[in-house]
Order: sequence, then structure tokens, then C-alpha cells
Amino acid sequence: MKDFKDKFIDEANELIQNLEKALLALEENPSDAEIIEKIFRIMHSLKGEGSMFGFDTISKFTHNIENIYDLIRNKKLKVNTDILDVTLASVDILRALLNENEDDTNLKNSITNINNKIQNILTPVNALENSVNQKNISIVKGVERNQQTRTYYISFKPKKDVLKSGSNPLFLVDDLYSLGDCKVFPHFDSVPDINDINASDCYVYWDIFIATNKGINAIIDVFIFIDDLSKIEIRKISEINLFNITSFLGIITETVKSQKHINIDKLNDLTHELEIIFEEDKKKEKNIYRSEKITESKISSIRVSAKKIDTLINRVSELITIQAHLSLFTKQHQNDELEAVTEEIEKISGSLRDDIFSIRLIPLETSLTRFYRLVRELSHSLKKNIVLKTEGTETELDKNILEGLTEPLMHILRNSIDHGIEDPETRIKSGKPEQGTITLKAFYSGTNIFIQIIDDGAGIDVKKIKQIAITKGLIEKNSNLKKQEILNLIFKSGFTTSETVTNISGRGVGMDVVKQKIKEIRGEVDVESTLGKGTTITIKLPLTLSIIDGLLTKIEDTMFIIPISSIEKIYAVEHSKLINTFNNVVTIENTQFPFFYLRKEFDLPETSLKLEQLIIVNYKNNNIGLVVDYVIGEYQAVLKSLGSFFKNNEFISGSSILGDGTVALVLDTSKIISQFSNYNKKFNSTTV
Amino acid sequence: MSKKILIVDDSESIREIVNFTLANAGHDVVKAIDGEDALTFLNGDKYDLIITDLHMPNMNGIELIKKVRESDPYKYTPILFLTTESQAEKKMEAKNAGATGWIVKPFMPAKLLEAINKVTR
Repeated sequence: MKDFKDKFIDEANELIQNLEKALLALEENPSDAEIIEKIFRIMHSLKGEGSMFGFDTISKFTHNIENIYDLIRNKKLKVNTDILDVTLASVDILRALLNENEDDTNLKNSITNINNKIQNILTPVNALENSVNQKNISIVKGVERNQQTRTYYISFKPKKDVLKSGSNPLFLVDDLYSLGDCKVFPHFDSVPDINDINASDCYVYWDIFIATNKGINAIIDVFIFIDDLSKIEIRKISEINLFNITSFLGIITETVKSQKHINIDKLNDLTHELEIIFEEDKKKEKNIYRSEKITESKISSIRVSAKKIDTLINRVSELITIQAHLSLFTKQHQNDELEAVTEEIEKISGSLRDDIFSIRLIPLETSLTRFYRLVRELSHSLKKNIVLKTEGTETELDKNILEGLTEPLMHILRNSIDHGIEDPETRIKSGKPEQGTITLKAFYSGTNIFIQIIDDGAGIDVKKIKQIAITKGLIEKNSNLKKQEILNLIFKSGFTTSETVTNISGRGVGMDVVKQKIKEIRGEVDVESTLGKGTTITIKLPLTLSIIDGLLTKIEDTMFIIPISSIEKIYAVEHSKLINTFNNVVTIENTQFPFFYLRKEFDLPETSLKLEQLIIVNYKNNNIGLVVDYVIGEYQAVLKSLGSFFKNNEFISGSSILGDGTVALVLDTSKIISQFSNYNKKFNSTTV
Repeated sequence: MSKKILIVDDSESIREIVNFTLANAGHDVVKAIDGEDALTFLNGDKYDLIITDLHMPNMNGIELIKKVRESDPYKYTPILFLTTESQAEKKMEAKNAGATGWIVKPFMPAKLLEAINKVTR
């Protein structure tokens, strides 16, 4: 509960700030309906949420101001300086109420003061209102003097199809019981012969006697959502609680039994007699008042706009770069004093960087519970045996991206469970393990985060998809599409492959929504599938603000950063061994590694180095080598984009500025391998 | 039994506490921040119940359920209002738009669950 309360305080502070802004705007345009509506809504939210989270004073206080704006909204009151002054003053009070002790005497005084002013504004309008609308007054009064317990009679004849709209008459009867003493007589005489019964119709009607102190409106409220075609009659039959009279229940039971329908007039005579009996043994009711002390919760977090944090992160990145510069300078100029200062700055800027980045980043694993639960429950209800495996869930994502990702991920998982993984019998028949596996995998690649949902299920039947797309009119009958283009059809709206629509998925709208939702967080989604083997959905997400753990390497004069996450091993290999190879495959420790000689790929001249570094990276489950001149060491790189001049460059995903001011390029290993393997025809003959 | 429930509220704290209450009771909850947002969710999946706030930016609760009732799969889906508003006129307006029930904020978790059980059999 405390978490929710903190959240409310955050949110309320934001609302109050918006309120203040809106009020200032209102002062400029006193008749702007949109602003008035906005102020009303903020007051309304504060009122509702305030009461929800125990801020009763706020709730009561905003209620009055909400009234003012409700009147303005309905054109019964015009914005004037008094109103603006009062609301602006109330902004300060709301802030104080939210963040300080509400028992403070000064605060209490100013609340009373403002409340009086509010009343001064409201009274003349209300007086006018009341004289115009008599009916309203009686309702209001009815609600206010509700202490006396009275007895009512209700005749309730629901219309036949009442059940369809989700209302169950029996629950209404339950609700009546919660209002006070109740005696219910159901009538079954309209129930037809069993052969004629329509199970979704309601044939029963009720006579109900109820004694309540909540007033007739509370009873009307119970029935308010019942369709107008249902017959409901509510009558007050006595000013007292007839249930307190011992003979009452017996008498009405007799009456209902003897006459099929209650005759209201006769009932009134009866209750009159009963009332006289009641007067004699009248009892006094005791009221127990309870008061709850609500403990105050202090602010423990603040909300800051994401943009501010972005700016801050950029500043810190710059600081880190300069600090690295300083460190280098200190190394070159031996000076004890300078060294001490540099060390201090290094320490502080290091922790500053860690702190600032951690503000926005949340590991993916924080939202895993939902996925595990989904897989467990859904596979259980579909009688499938499925296990969810996760990899790289420590990968941290921007908070907003992570939030926007949960829904689409749930949807993709649902699809995998429902359509992807086959039932155990089919799996055994096709020689697969009985238990299906869905893998949720997250990893960095350059400036992107990839999230994959891999299932080892039936895969997507491309022919079937094409067929369906033709029947649904999504593509032309004789259109010539590549496999990937056909697979991408599943992201079109109105597409479904499921022959039967299930509760879980398969309504034909789904993957298009997934795509839409992912687009909203500036991501891309892609599907790969092999029939009989399984399906992989890949979500590519941007990493606008990010640092990566990289390996700093050097080729000729240029520094390159290779993300550590993709590196498997590093070997020092003799130059001759790399040059004299067939098909660019080198054998080390009895393992063959296909490799790319980056120096050659980048069109750089021959080297005189004896030893070169073979960095083995993982590419689509294959180990592939990249050859560089030197490995310098691990480096935490603050990623910077390269700017629009380099936007066509595929395999360099970003850059980072090193301590001495040199620029290092961040290599996207996946892109490099896929691009060069396309160029090098000879490489296609290898296993990639 | 677990239900798929869409909650629509512009307030994060209300969304969270409703979500907390319902998820703890074993329901599958999806959160939407206003009427428009809710419609995109409703287009994507079938929900057993919709719980919506009344006053929201972009598209308010009444407009939302009018739209929802127009679509065939949601003709009879229970829709509950969860709001601070308790005026009879507002309730009538909601009812005419197609609402199934009305829960007044502040709510007790038990009451909310009870109301949900009543409309989703």
C-alpha cells in the first residue's frame, strides 16, 4: 500500500503542477472550455485518488473546488478574479496537504479561510439553482437525512433477457441484503414448461421487503443499471423498521402466500397497525463512530521529465570524456599533486556516471514474472507441456521502452503457446521432445537491443499463409512474393491462420497491434520461421542512451569497439596462418573457424605484424572470427551516433570518444558478418 | 476463474492499485490510459470485462463504452464504471450508453472483486 501511496503523491504533485499551469492559462482565456474541463478533471482526479489513498482532507477540499468548476463547465458560473484567486491559493494548500503535516494549525486556518471563500462563490449560484430545480433539493435532502431506518416494498420484474447484459437479478437481491434487513419472495409462476425454457432468459420475479437507513435513493441505485424494460416499483411503506416487530415476517409471508400479488393499499393498512404495536416497544439505536487515523507518508521519490535526464546523461558523458582526457594528461606529466586530484575526479565521475545511467535503466528480468505466469497458466489450460527459458535478461532497457514492450511480448508469447508449440502427441510423432521450449533472449548489438522469442514449435507454413492472404484479399492471387515477404503478412491487420478462433489468440487482429505497439517505442519487429522447426520473432529496439561494455581494438590507426556481449574467445594467431588459408577458415585447437580479415575487408594495406588477433564472435549460433591488429582492453563506451553522413553505413553502429579525444568506431558484428558474407561469394560455401 | 480484464484510467496510481487487486485475485489485467488507448487494446484481444474511469482526457468513459457497444464482440461484455462520481444523472448517462455497473471510488479491494464476480459469471 505504501508504494501505491508514494505513486499517488508523485502523481498528485504532477497534477497540481498541471493545475497551476492550466490556471495561469485560464487567466489569459477565461472562457476556454478546454482549460476549464482540464481543471475540473484534475480536481476530480485529486478528489477520487485522494480518498482512495487516505488523503481525506485533500479529497474534501478538492470536492468544493470541483463544484465550482463543474458549475463553470455547465455555464452556470463565469470565471472571475475571485475564482481564480481562490483556486490559485488552493494550489498551494494542496501542495502543503500532500507534502506536509495536515494537522498544522496555520494550514488548517488557511483551509478554513479558502473554504469560506469557496462557499461565498457557491452560495448565490446554489440558491438560484435550488429555486429553479425543486426536485434536486428533495433528492439531496433525502440523502442527507438518512439516519432513520424505514421499511420499503419493492416489486421487481426483470425483462426476459436481463441476463444477457451481464446483470444477474440475484446479485441485485444480494445488494439489497447489504442495505439492511430483507425479506425476499421469489415468484416462479411465469416459468414455462421445461421444453419451452430458454436458458438465457429470466422468468422469475420478486416481491421484496427491506428496512434500511440508507434512504430510497440507495435502493434506486441498486437497480439503476437494470434496463428500462424491467419493471421496478419501490414504495416506502413505513417510517420505521417493521422487521423489529416480531409478527411482521409472519404476516407478510401469509399475505404473499394467500394473494399472488401484493396489493400495496392493503399493505399500507397492515403496516399502519404494525407501527402502532412498534411504538410501544421502541428501542434506541446506538451509533458507533469510528475514526481512523491515517498516517502521513512523506515524499520518497520525485518525478523528472525524461528529457531532463537525457540532457543530464549527455553532460555526464561529456564529463567522462574530459576526465579520461585529464587522466591521460596526468600520466604523461608526472606530478604528485595533479595525480591526486585526477584520481579523485576519476572516482567521482565514475560513480556519477553509474548513478546517472541507472536512473533510467531497468533490467528486463523485472518483468519476467508475468511471462512465466502466462506460459505456465496458458500451457496448462491448453494441455501443452511448455517451458520458458530466458537468456540475457540482465540486459537493461530504458524504463519507457520496457513498459511499452510488455504488452507486445505477452501477445507474441501467447501466439507461440497457442499456435507455435504443438500438443505433446504431435511433438512425439514428429520426433521432438515432448516438452516444447520457448526462449526469451535479450542481447545488445551495437546501439540496439534485440529481444527474441524463439519457439521450437510447428513453425509457420508459408504456403498456407499465402493461401489465406489470397482468400482474405490481402495479396493478389498470382503475386510473386519471397518467403520473407509472405511471413511479414502476419503483421497485416485482419490476418489469422488459426482455423478455430480461440480464447487465447487467433482473432486475426493481434500481430498488427504488436507491430504498432513496438513501433511506438521506436522498435522494429521481424519474423523468421522454419516449417516443423519453429519460429523466431525478433524485436529490435533502440538504445538511445546507453553505454556498452566493449573490447577496444585497433586496426592500422583506427580504434574499433566490439561489444563484449558478442565475443566468445580471443586468439593470437600468426599472420602467415591467416594468409595461407583456403576459404578463409583457420583451424585452432582442432576447431575450424571461418573468419574475416578486417584489414582486407576495409581495404587497408598489408601489415608487417607477425601476430594478429582473432576475435571469435557469435553469429546466429556459429562462431566466426574477426581479425584485428591489436586488442587494447576492455572499455566502457558511451555511445554516440555518427550523424547523418554515416547513416548508410551498416556495420558501424556508433562511435565513442576515447580519453585522448580519438574517436573509436563501434562495430556491429552481426551486420559486418552478414554484409561481408554476401560480398564474398566464396564464403557462402562455408557453414554460414 | 481468471478473467481477462481491461482497466481504463488516466491515473497511474489507480491503474496500479486496481491492477494489484485484480492480479492478486488471479485475473489477467491489461491497463489502458484513456478511451483511445483502450480501443486499441480491445481491437487486439477479447476481454471478459472492462473497468473504466469516467473523466479522462482524449476519450472519456461514456464515449468509450458507446464505441465499445457498437462492436459486435463487445455487445454484451460487462462494463463497470469505477469513478468518484456518484450523481444519479451521471449513472443514468452511463447506463444509457451501455454500462453494466458502477463502483464508486474509494473502493475496498474486496468490494471491487465482489462486483467483478457479480458481472462475470
